[in-house]
Order: sequence, then C-alpha cells, then structure tokens
Amino acid sequence: MSEPAAGCESVEASPAGLASPEFSSLYEENNRAIYYLALRFLGDPQKAEDATHDVFLKAFRKLDQFRGEASMRTWLYRIAINHCQNLRQGWHDRHVFSNADDAVWDNAVARTDSPLRVLETKELGQRIQKALDGLSDEYRLLLLLVADEELSYEQVGTLVEQSPDAVRGKLHRARKAFAVLFEKTA
Amino acid sequence: MKHQSKLSQEQQAQLAGTEQQAQSTGAREFASVEEMLRYDAAHTPVPPDIAQRLQKSTGDLPAPKTSWWKRLFG
Repeated sequence: MSEPAAGCESVEASPAGLASPEFSSLYEENNRAIYYLALRFLGDPQKAEDATHDVFLKAFRKLDQFRGEASMRTWLYRIAINHCQNLRQGWHDRHVFSNADDAVWDNAVARTDSPLRVLETKELGQRIQKALDGLSDEYRLLLLLVADEELSYEQVGTLVEQSPDAVRGKLHRARKAFAVLFEKTA
Repeated sequence: MKHQSKLSQEQQAQLAGTEQQAQSTGAREFASVEEMLRYDAAHTPVPPDIAQRLQKSTGDLPAPKTSWWKRLFG
C-alpha cells in the first residue's frame, strides 16, 4: 500500500475557495485530523481522500444541524467514524479478517513503558500502518482518537460509546498490542 | 589542560558525528504510541485534491445556514 508523500506540509490547498467562511475555517482547522484518521483507519490513501471529501461534504450539508453539544472536532469525528466504519463493514462482508484477540496481547511481551525507537522515520508511516492493520477496529480507533490532543478521555469515550474508565483500560491493551506489532515491522 | 582540551575536541567530534548520523538516518525516539502517531500525523500531508473537489462539490449547493446554536450563542 502506497503512502502519501511525506514532508510536504505546505502543499495543502487553500480552502479560501470553499463555499462559506464558516465552512472554510471548519475545513482548515480539521482537515488534517480527519484525513489522518481516515488514512490510518482505512489503510488506503485513495479511500482516505474520498472519505475525507465525503465527510466534509456531509458536514457542509448538515452544518445548520450542528447543535453545539459537542465541539466541531468531535462532531466531525462522529461523521468520519460512521463513514469509515460503514466502508470497513463493507469490506468485512467481502473478506474474512482475523484480528488477534485480547488473550494474545495479554500474553505478549511488549515494552510498553519504554520508548519506541525508530532508526528511520522515512518509512515510519508504513510501519505504523502495518501495526495498526493488525489491531481490531476498536483498538485502532481508540489509539487514533487518543493521539489527538484536542480530545479528552470523556470525548473519546463518547465517540467510541464507552465510559472514560473503559477507554483507559482498553487503551492500555491497545498500546501494548501496538507495541508488539510495531516491533515486528522493524 | 591540553589533554583535556583534546579529549573534549574528540568527544565533540564524536557527538557531532552521532548527531549527523541520527539526522541522516532519521533516527527518533517516541515516549508513547500517541506521540508517535502525532508525529506521523504532522508529517502526513493532506492531498490538495480534497479541497479542490470540495470546492466543486459544494459549488452548486446553497451556502449552509448558520446553525441555530451559533445564531443564539455566537
């Protein structure tokens, strides 16, 4: 699976031509977060591009329905998660996925408390993708959401329909599982 | 003193070499999975095509109304 070219942060198109100032700023502030979630959740740059477009188009159409009960970022994540899960569900119907269950991670030896070292960041994206691909959808989503510093555990919990305590508990296992899988990609 | 100074120079050269190697190979250490993902996200470019496609897709649609929540609370 090809990776988007790294190190080109300045190539993002200006959203100035988008339909309204409100929508432009919505896109500007959130496009990276939504694209990254779609990319790493779906594991395919083209599907992630399509998904990001579709998510923002849905947001554009529903902007007047935004009730302010959640942050805009959380609201967009909700749309993105539903969209990506629907896409993944379609794949699940056509393919058999065998995600390792928790028992595997419980018995695995991973240095979750020690730093993750990489000798070459050039291929970091590919290694991260491989590790994430080995996780269940739930763990993958959890790690991606918790990595967003704008989200609290409460907000992550709302998005994954779990209590904050459950999020913390599952996060520990998700980190461990990721560390095991990441080491294998070296 | 001279000996110390020479040692220091050697150490500095060694350190510089190590740093250079680290830069050339892109070696890096992350304290957590989340930190690694944040680094990856920051270095993953968003395709400019998305904004262009959105511009086309939303071009024919009426501009969104400001949400009632925003009208009330700004």
